[in-house]
Amino acid sequence: MASVEMASAPGDGRRVVGAGESGRSGGDIACSGLYKWYGDSAVVAGLDLYVAQNQFVCVVGPSGCGKTTLLRMMAGLASIDSGTIAISGRQVNGPLPSVAVVFQHYGLFPWKTVFNNVALPLRASGVAKGEAARRANDALTLVGLNDIGDQYPAQLSGGMKQRVGLARALAIQPEVVLLDEPFAAVDAQTREILQEELLALWSRYQQTAVFVTHSIDEAITLADRVIVMGTKPGRIVDDIEVPIGRPRSVASVRRHESYTPLRERIWDQLRGSSTAGGERG
Amino acid sequence: MAQRVEPQATGAARPGDRHGGVAGVGDKALGAQVREARRRRARRARRRFLAIRLTSLVVVFGAWQLYGMHTIAILFAPITTVLHQGYLLFAHDQLGSQLGYSMWTFVCGYAIGVAVGIVLGMLMGAYRWAEAAVSMYVFALYATPMVALVPIISLWIGFDATAQIVIIALFVTWPMTVTVFHGVRQIDAELMEVSRSLRLNRRQMWVHVLLPGAVPYVITGATQGVAMGLVGVIIAELQTQLSGLGDALQTQSQTYHTAAALAVILLIMVLGVGLRAILGLVQHRAVPWLRIDRGDGAQR
Repeated sequence: MASVEMASAPGDGRRVVGAGESGRSGGDIACSGLYKWYGDSAVVAGLDLYVAQNQFVCVVGPSGCGKTTLLRMMAGLASIDSGTIAISGRQVNGPLPSVAVVFQHYGLFPWKTVFNNVALPLRASGVAKGEAARRANDALTLVGLNDIGDQYPAQLSGGMKQRVGLARALAIQPEVVLLDEPFAAVDAQTREILQEELLALWSRYQQTAVFVTHSIDEAITLADRVIVMGTKPGRIVDDIEVPIGRPRSVASVRRHESYTPLRERIWDQLRGSSTAGGERG
Repeated sequence: MAQRVEPQATGAARPGDRHGGVAGVGDKALGAQVREARRRRARRARRRFLAIRLTSLVVVFGAWQLYGMHTIAILFAPITTVLHQGYLLFAHDQLGSQLGYSMWTFVCGYAIGVAVGIVLGMLMGAYRWAEAAVSMYVFALYATPMVALVPIISLWIGFDATAQIVIIALFVTWPMTVTVFHGVRQIDAELMEVSRSLRLNRRQMWVHVLLPGAVPYVITGATQGVAMGLVGVIIAELQTQLSGLGDALQTQSQTYHTAAALAVILLIMVLGVGLRAILGLVQHRAVPWLRIDRGDGAQR
């Protein structure tokens, strides 16, 4: 895979993504008794979830099940009406410095070049200019975009924009990466390519990740563990380990013997939990 | 929900095929060709628009000339006479110094109006408390014809250049404020969320998000402000102490030197067009990220 070769370019084994291999502690997420109401309806109702360090968790569910709300609460972007979230033991009541978010619509600043978009959070958190530049370039190299640093987001395709979004998240060396339907806005083919690249990245640099999606295939492909959420009220209806080892590829997951049973199990859960049939595919 | 992607049908995805970072040499040559073709198309389009513009000028000025030659001089004059009168006003009258005076008050009033508009509009856009505190006055003044305030301003400040500058600033500042306010509000909600997520502090938020995000609107407001400011100049010069271009206009038309009056009007028009063109250049330089969408090498 091209992206993996690109990723190995720096060559000196520097930790660009949070390193699973360095024995760093922290990076776990503990949610307990979470509630979130919009008006009279509970979008998230009494949710308990523990995500261990370096675990890749996908949250699937129909529209309106509160999966994005859950992610936004973890990110410190939505208030928590009741209950607590702790990331690496730190209480979440606003965005934490050790948490990076990848947004559905990329969230790139149109007036900043690719390089400056990636370097911004580093500079903003007080990283010196030279160091920030080095880390931004490393992160761009990881996603295979180191040669387009001086372009503006408007010049990029959707897939490239989301690679920049990913690079920006990884550049700050977070303990936790939260991804909110990051590939929902790109076409199906690009989506598969991005999944492939994400798998390659994660097999090199293990990292705690919560990935919200409404695609069952995407969830099984990427996750160590799939959380299935149901609607009205938003709650966890199933919690499934994905018994497919790493490194993986999109194709190897599809060929795996447990792929189809898993897929059917999740699909049944979703059908059972959602009376409204009109969710997006 | 079921998104059945059959693995056998498409085969394994090959990263880099379409969107990857590495493009083959053939791709690069093709890309250059496509870009060149696009540039040629853009050049052709520009030439065509220029031709239409020139034709339009010829037609309008031709009609002006014909009509002017067949009417009485007190009502209208052919363009050639108007231009000649304009030259005479410059050479033998005070049109040069009058123009200078008007430009001076315009620049002062315009600068104040734009500055106040940016500050007020940004504050109102960024902070709800500022909006709650002042937006009703801003919108009330925005909806009021500023001409109505001129007699009061004269009463308070007098009839000199200071009063004129204040009047011009008032003409410029309210549309400017409203445009900038809306501009800041229209900065993508997701981008505001991103800024929070990136833990930008207040200063960083202004420097990296609010100010650059508002730049296109500031320029739009400043461009509208040129027209408003020129209205302000003439009204101020007619309604306070008769001076500058307003003086020239008034004197020439009251003494039935219609051609000369038309020359002054033409000059004001040229000023408006010229100042807008300057702002267009500023815009082109100040917002490089918006230049991209004009089809020079963008792949959307």
